[in-house]
Amino acid sequence: MVWWRIAWRNLWRNRRRTLITASALAVGFFGAVLMVALDDGISAELLDNGTGVLTGQVQLHARGWMPERSLYATIDGDAGIDVGALLARLRAVPGVAAAAPRVWAGGLLSAGHQTEGAVLMGADMSLEPGVSRILGTLVAGRAPRAGARELAIGSELARKLRVAAGAEVVVVAPAADGSTGNDVYRVSGVFRTGLDQLDGSYAVAPLGALQSLLALAPGRVHEVAVRLPDPWAAPAVARAIAAALTDAGHAAAGGPLDVTVEPWASFNPEVAEYLQLITASNGLVVGIVFLFAIFGVANTSLMGAYERRREFAVVRALGVGPAGVARTVVYEGLALGVLALAAGIAVTAPVLVAWHHTPLNLGWLIGNLELAGALVRPVLRVQYSLHGPVMGATGLLVTAVLAALYPAVRAARVPPADALAGR
Amino acid sequence: MTGAGEARAGGVGSRRPAGVRVGVFLGLAFRNVRRNARRSLLTASAMTLGLAVLMWTRAISDGAHEAWVTGAVRIGTGHVALEAPGFRESGSLADRLAAPQLDAAAAVLRSPDVAPLVRAVAPRLAVGGLASSAAAAVPVRIEGVDPAAEAAFNTLAGHVVAGRFLAPDDRLAAYVGVDLARRLQLRIGDRMVVTAQTAGGEITGQLARVVGTFKSGLPEVDQGLVYVPIATARNWLGVPGAATAVAVLLYSSRDASRVARALRVRLPAGIAALSWERADPALASAVRIDDWSGYAFLLILGIIVALAIVNAVLMSVLTRNREFGVLQALGLTRRETGTVVFTEGLMLTTASGALGTAIGYGVTWLLWRHGLDLSVFMKGDISFAGALVSPVMVPEFRAVQVLLCLAATLVIGAAASFYPARQATRIDVAEAMKFDR
Amino acid sequence: MVGPVGTARRARPRAAAGAVLLAAVLAAARPAPAQTAREIVDRVDRMLRGASSRADVVMEIATEHWTRSLEMRVWSLGTAYALIRVVAPPREAGSATLKAGDEVWNYLPRVDRTIKVPPSLMMGSWMGSHFTNDDLVKESRVIDDYDIAIGFEGERQGVAVWEFVLTPKPTAAVVWGRVVQQVRKADLMPTWARYYDERGTLIRTMTFGDYRRFGSRLVPAVMTVRPEDKPDESTTVRYRDLEFDVRLSPAFFSLRSLQERR
Repeated sequence: MVWWRIAWRNLWRNRRRTLITASALAVGFFGAVLMVALDDGISAELLDNGTGVLTGQVQLHARGWMPERSLYATIDGDAGIDVGALLARLRAVPGVAAAAPRVWAGGLLSAGHQTEGAVLMGADMSLEPGVSRILGTLVAGRAPRAGARELAIGSELARKLRVAAGAEVVVVAPAADGSTGNDVYRVSGVFRTGLDQLDGSYAVAPLGALQSLLALAPGRVHEVAVRLPDPWAAPAVARAIAAALTDAGHAAAGGPLDVTVEPWASFNPEVAEYLQLITASNGLVVGIVFLFAIFGVANTSLMGAYERRREFAVVRALGVGPAGVARTVVYEGLALGVLALAAGIAVTAPVLVAWHHTPLNLGWLIGNLELAGALVRPVLRVQYSLHGPVMGATGLLVTAVLAALYPAVRAARVPPADALAGR
Repeated sequence: MTGAGEARAGGVGSRRPAGVRVGVFLGLAFRNVRRNARRSLLTASAMTLGLAVLMWTRAISDGAHEAWVTGAVRIGTGHVALEAPGFRESGSLADRLAAPQLDAAAAVLRSPDVAPLVRAVAPRLAVGGLASSAAAAVPVRIEGVDPAAEAAFNTLAGHVVAGRFLAPDDRLAAYVGVDLARRLQLRIGDRMVVTAQTAGGEITGQLARVVGTFKSGLPEVDQGLVYVPIATARNWLGVPGAATAVAVLLYSSRDASRVARALRVRLPAGIAALSWERADPALASAVRIDDWSGYAFLLILGIIVALAIVNAVLMSVLTRNREFGVLQALGLTRRETGTVVFTEGLMLTTASGALGTAIGYGVTWLLWRHGLDLSVFMKGDISFAGALVSPVMVPEFRAVQVLLCLAATLVIGAAASFYPARQATRIDVAEAMKFDR
Repeated sequence: MVGPVGTARRARPRAAAGAVLLAAVLAAARPAPAQTAREIVDRVDRMLRGASSRADVVMEIATEHWTRSLEMRVWSLGTAYALIRVVAPPREAGSATLKAGDEVWNYLPRVDRTIKVPPSLMMGSWMGSHFTNDDLVKESRVIDDYDIAIGFEGERQGVAVWEFVLTPKPTAAVVWGRVVQQVRKADLMPTWARYYDERGTLIRTMTFGDYRRFGSRLVPAVMTVRPEDKPDESTTVRYRDLEFDVRLSPAFFSLRSLQERR
């Protein structure tokens, strides 16, 4: 206990040096935590856009649906399923926030002399907004009304077709009974997600209307998309869903549902890879910051140890062994670390909180960016997480102690008599 | 007393010309630095390490950005794309460049101030159509390319999965993505027919045999792109000598705006020159974001280094009270004391910073000039803003970055020396002389 | 034989029919040299095309997921013009396809709209059948795209037949590696055609039957296409009525005609 008091007092004896050194460490902490928080913000944004715009974090399909996305491969075969019951079942799985059914088809949209190929998505208008954001990115008009023959189309598609909200288009798609499904739909709204593929060829219609067009019974859907509040839990939740569906005969036929349940990393591997890259680079950033800090602090400590030779000599002469001297120096380092950490937290926390609530908009500097197939908006936000501050604090304390080690050794080796004699 | 007073009143510099004064300060500073070798060395090392890392980071970062841009433009339309003005909007064969226009463009690209910047020029004739085999039919984009030029230009030419890329004397050959080959059930050597609307409006088929397949990792590319020799495409579509775009690859992406401007001025009307920043603003943004976040990171590091140096210089000041006391007793004014300390700090940091920059440059060049291999973090190439990025980052050495490092050195050195210098001006001579230290 | 229902090509003048008959008789007497083989294949290819024609056709399609039967009326003029209108079932009656030059239009009676179909969107099968769009719009002649050789000559199941092997010419824009046709010697009627890819795998088989006279021409009134990889699937076209050299002009093949419900 005495050693701590001595260490603390030693620190304050050289107030200016202590404060400057502590500042260096605090700045390191600030920098490391902020950079990690920013990277986390980008990761969250990437993940959110990669999965939150359209796909959801977990998806269910009939086993044969990928990769051809065949019209006929509806979940559990031609007979269809009790969609409501399936959705209820999914919502009961812990970790699931919302689920929505979808129907997919490839077809044509035609207006005037323009005909364009389109990806038609039939969605439940009340459930879909709980799972994806595509209908939230409308720049004109409104979402289609349930049951009506209305469509929300991408902005690029609208441009190619030369239509605006309110216009009529003819929708043509091969139906499940072999005929050519066709009908006149009204463009209720135009969306802009910022992703070329969606804006250029996707059209969203109410589930029932599209099923009629495609001669699909109401129980036939191709996909169920699931939203999880915590995207990182996707693999575990996917497994839980698969387990829940395979037991206690869920299908109309009485057996378990033969579906594939995939987390987002399966159907969006690029985003997963990029996130791994970001995590790896986080470690690198913190490492570099504290490498610098170590150097700076060690520098100062070493000089300090040298300047304090006489002091150590006196202490040794008073009977403290070399280990004791070394311990003092190390404790000083640790105390410095704690002090710096306190200062660092005091400075970092308010900035982090302010930034989190008011993300920095860099729109003036850059535009939107498409990364690994997802959109990154120029709004820099920071994410609250524990691992940033923990990494920062650990780095800081380790740095402070490591930086004190060599000086501690040097201090212990000061020959008392010689030092006192001035040599 | 008189002597001391006289010296005091006069001061070391007051009756001497400025140039000599500076010289005296420098001399003093230098000697002080040398006398406290250990201390100086420790201070210097912080600066050296800092600048070395700074230089390394800038080189790798610039290299990475260049790689992103190059990766993107090599799959796309180059650093500068020459097209008919309406083509980007319509994508139609009707908006194409005729043979005389291509000749004019080639001539401009050969002019002496542009030619050294140009690495490769690839003409392309692109249409949308259908690819069919005995098994199935798939809508695709068909690109007629010059095999020799394209091989130098397009990264996909190197991503061969089976077979080979197009050869200069190929006629009925096609180079397709693996996913397309799978859907059409095509193996190397199999026949496929591409169908599209010719310039005259006819819908015509063209035979092509698969000579190679590629994998980019980008699904829309692997499923929807067919490369054929441009001669074959021109013949098929009835547009002899024409192209829908001429893609120009430069040695450095930074030359793109300049080259585009030069081309715009010299090319006849009817040919638009687009630099990649305009053609792909998302990529330009990505590079900018990364640059700025890099600078932010370096600011943090710079502050840490500066603080370390402040401490070091400050300590050297505080332990030399007696020395300064004596000097001031001999006539050095307070302000001059401060100046000496400032000069010491600046001299030390500048020298060590310059050294650090040189070491950083040298080490980066020595160890990583062929590239820093990050493939432990990334499996294969990653798609980024529509490009394919290789995990090997080759650093780029730019004079601008060296200047930046040296400027940082000066700023850090000056900032870090300022406070200790100010402290030095506050030394109480009498108090300083009292003690034995 | 790659032209089904309604794609008219340049007609053989009537006067030449006699010459062909003569050639056929002579052919029955001695082995057919390659040149005559070419003529025979050409004749088979263009058998269903007059300078102009009108036909009433029933198409039955069976796939893994559904079966359908469509009644259609088909008008054609040369190789450039064709109009196909669905007559039954009532749900689809009135829908029509117009090919005029290089443009293809679809009329959808249910919504009373006409859409223009660009070539890159004409994927795969025509109206859900096992015929491809290629079969529909292709204008070139078989003898231009293929070299013809005799693979077999003699009797099969009591009928004297030739088997012609068609190999694509080096630059022909066709997807098949080989097409093999069997033609009856007596009346030059095709009995079947088999389509192979280049590796020799049989991809689809076309069979012909119910040979009848419409006007002065003998034609197979029934054609069936069967894909090899899905043996339960097939498309069968039956001619109920077929009239050649009908009075039609290019003006008939207009968007207005497309939209009429008759």
